[in-house]
Amino acid sequence: MNLFGVLDLSASALQAQRQRAEVVASNLANAETTHTSQGGPYQKQLVVFGPERLRAGTFDVALASFNDIHMRGVRVERVVADQSPPVRRYEPGHPDADSDGYVSFPAINPIEEMVNLMSAARSYQMNVSAVQATKTMIQDAITILQ
Amino acid sequence: MSWMDNSLLNQIESYLHMASFREGLVANNIANIDTPKYHTRDIDFEGELRKAQMEPSGVFGPEVREVRGLVERPDGNNVDMDRESMLLAQSQLMYRLGVQLLRDHFKILQSAINDSQ
Repeated sequence: MNLFGVLDLSASALQAQRQRAEVVASNLANAETTHTSQGGPYQKQLVVFGPERLRAGTFDVALASFNDIHMRGVRVERVVADQSPPVRRYEPGHPDADSDGYVSFPAINPIEEMVNLMSAARSYQMNVSAVQATKTMIQDAITILQ
Repeated sequence: MSWMDNSLLNQIESYLHMASFREGLVANNIANIDTPKYHTRDIDFEGELRKAQMEPSGVFGPEVREVRGLVERPDGNNVDMDRESMLLAQSQLMYRLGVQLLRDHFKILQSAINDSQ
């Protein structure tokens, strides 16, 4: 893998961490959403990271993946809904209240979400450092020509 | 040793190659810092460099290993941010050193050409 490939690899991680931050933001925004188009309260979403898929097809890509099997980058493999039961609160005046007067709210803990968001931001920063290091190395390599 | 003998150039080349390969591995470890079950990968830099310089005609392909002795988190991932950021800086500086050596090599060659005129 050449240094430009390393840039692509770090870019894949930046994208994955950004998607994770988006999902966390969506969870926080919908912390009080009591009904969705699927019915029931909003369910907390979680991202699962996995290795980037090798794009089959061209010869170059096949050769590169043969050499660089150890460097595959990362992607959001899937987004899963958290299966924990909703929190029930007694609010008889609420339009989504059941016959007993209880409303189901999504089981979202803001502290948990904020920690997740901070972790995503730190990992993002770490990958930005990697991009900067790679960029400096490419610039150094260019100076050989000068 | 004559200037046409480029064994020094070959040595610097394999050094640069190894430094950039390691940089890629470190970037990959950093990219996978939150991937469940991912284990830190690295090469034995000195050993692989020696091997590459013993047989300069060989195909470049250092052996990548999983690093032992790192603490695994509950999700099965053992990437250590401090270790990786240190190695990132290290491989970057090693690469710069290689580039500088290469430039100096060519500069000496250049001055030899210029002085003969």
